Amino acid sequence: MHIKKHITNKVPLIVLENVSVDFLENNVGIHSVKDFFTIGKRPFKRKTILKGISFIINKGESWAIMGRNGSGKSTLLRTISGIIKPSSGKLTVNGTIAPILALGAGVELELTGFENINLLLSLSGLKQKEIVRLTDEIIDFSELDSNTLQMPVKRYSSGMIARLAFSIALAKNFDILMIDEVLAVGDQGFQGKCIQKINLIKEQGKTIIFVSHAPAEAMKICDKAILIENGNITQSGNSKNVCKHYEALFQS
Amino acid sequence: MKELLKIYALAKRNIKLRYKNSVIGFFWGFLKPFLYLLVFILIFSTQFSSLGNYVLYVTSGLIIWFYFSNVAGQIIQSIISSADLIKSIKIPPIYFPIAELASELFNLCLMFIVFLFVMYPFGITYSFKLFLFFPAVILFSLFTLGFSLILSGINVFLRDVGILWNTILPAFFYVTPVAYPISLIPLKYQSIVKMNPVYYFIELFRHIVYYPDGPSYKLWTGALISGIVSFMIGYFIFQKLSRYFISCI
Repeated sequence: MHIKKHITNKVPLIVLENVSVDFLENNVGIHSVKDFFTIGKRPFKRKTILKGISFIINKGESWAIMGRNGSGKSTLLRTISGIIKPSSGKLTVNGTIAPILALGAGVELELTGFENINLLLSLSGLKQKEIVRLTDEIIDFSELDSNTLQMPVKRYSSGMIARLAFSIALAKNFDILMIDEVLAVGDQGFQGKCIQKINLIKEQGKTIIFVSHAPAEAMKICDKAILIENGNITQSGNSKNVCKHYEALFQS
Repeated sequence: MKELLKIYALAKRNIKLRYKNSVIGFFWGFLKPFLYLLVFILIFSTQFSSLGNYVLYVTSGLIIWFYFSNVAGQIIQSIISSADLIKSIKIPPIYFPIAELASELFNLCLMFIVFLFVMYPFGITYSFKLFLFFPAVILFSLFTLGFSLILSGINVFLRDVGILWNTILPAFFYVTPVAYPISLIPLKYQSIVKMNPVYYFIELFRHIVYYPDGPSYKLWTGALISGIVSFMIGYFIFQKLSRYFISCI
C-alpha cells in the first residue's frame, strides 16, 4: 500500500478562530412598516449564519465542505475569501485565493467572453500585459473558440459559462483554490478535465477547498472534510468519515 | 495604482453595458440635454431677456444638472445591479459607485469640450477662466458622490429609495433654477430654493462659463465645504452599511 509522506512542518494558510457571521434578515414590506410603527417591531433582524467556527487549513491540504442546503457553506467560503467580513472572531489568510463561488463567478451576461476575461482578470488586479498572456491559456483550457468568445455570454449554455468562469479563475497564480459546487454543470469531458486539473493543482502543493453534495466526488478530490450543520462544524477530519456522517443526515 | 486599474475596468464595463446593442450608443448622452435645450429655447428664450444670453445660460445649467442626475441615478442602483460580481469577487463595494462616477465624469468632460465649440456662436468667451471648470467639477463630483452614496447604501435595504428618487427628480429639476433665473421665484420662497446645494454649484459653473466675472470666494468656499462634508458623511454611512450588503442583494 502506498503510504503518503506526512508533511512534518505544517504551514497554516487559513486560520479561523471563533469566526461568526451575522446577516441582516430583511423582510421589509408594507406589513413590516406597519408593525414598526404600531408595535415597534424592527423590519431588520440579525441572523447568525456562522456560529463561532474555528479550524485550520494547512498548505497543501484539500478540504471538502459538506452540509445541507442553507447550512452556511457558501457563507463560509465567502468569509474566507474576504467577501464577507466576520462579525466577530479572527480570520487569517496567508496566500492568494482563486474563488469559484457561483456558477458564473461574476461573469457579466451582457458582455462577450473576451470582455469578461478582461474584466474579471483586471478586477483581480492583473495588468493588461499579463491579461493578454493569460487569455491564450484561458481559450486553451475552456475549449471555447474565438467565435464563441466574441458572443455575449447570455447566449452561452450554462456548461459553457461554467467553462469560461472556471478557466478565468484558474488562469492566474494562486495558493488556494476554492470551488463551490460548480463542476456539476459541465459536460463529462470538461468535468474530467477539471478533476484532472484539480489533481495537478494538488500535486503542485496548493490548497483546495471544495464544496460538494456528492460524497463520491468529495472523497475523490479531498483528503479531509468538515461537516457544517446550522452554522456549526459538527464533524471534521478524514473525508471518508465525514462523508459517512453526511450521508447519515439523510437516512432518517 | 492597482486599485485604480480595477475602478477603471469597472468604469469601462459600465460604459460598455449602457450602450450595448444600441446604434448611436454614446451619443444618446448628448441627445438628452440637447432636447431639453430645444424645449426651453422654444418656450422661454423671449421671456428672459434680462438674462441676455439665454442659450448659454440654459446649456451651462443643463450640463451640470444632467451630470448630477445621471451620477446619482447610476450610483443609487450601482450596488444592486452588480450583485453577482459583489457576491463572487473580493472587491470593496465602494468601487462600484466610484466607477459609475468615473464613467459619468468621462462623459461630462467630452460634453464640456463639445459645449465649448458649440457655444462659440452663442457668445461664450474663451479665456483662462474656463480652466476653473476642472476644480469646480472635482468639488461637485465629491458632493454628488457623497450624496449618492447615502442613497445607494440605503437602497440596498429599502428599494423604495431608488423609486422615490426617480419620482422626485423631475420636481427637483423644476425647483432648481436651471432653465430660469432665480428672480423668477417669489421673494418669500427664494430662501427655500437657496437651501438647495445644487443651485450653488450651478451658479459656480455659470460664473465660469456665463457671467463675465469669475466665481466669488464665497461660492468656492461653499462648494469646498459642501463637497467635503457630503463626501465624508456619504463615505461613512456607506461603509457602515456595506458589511450587510451581501445579505440583502
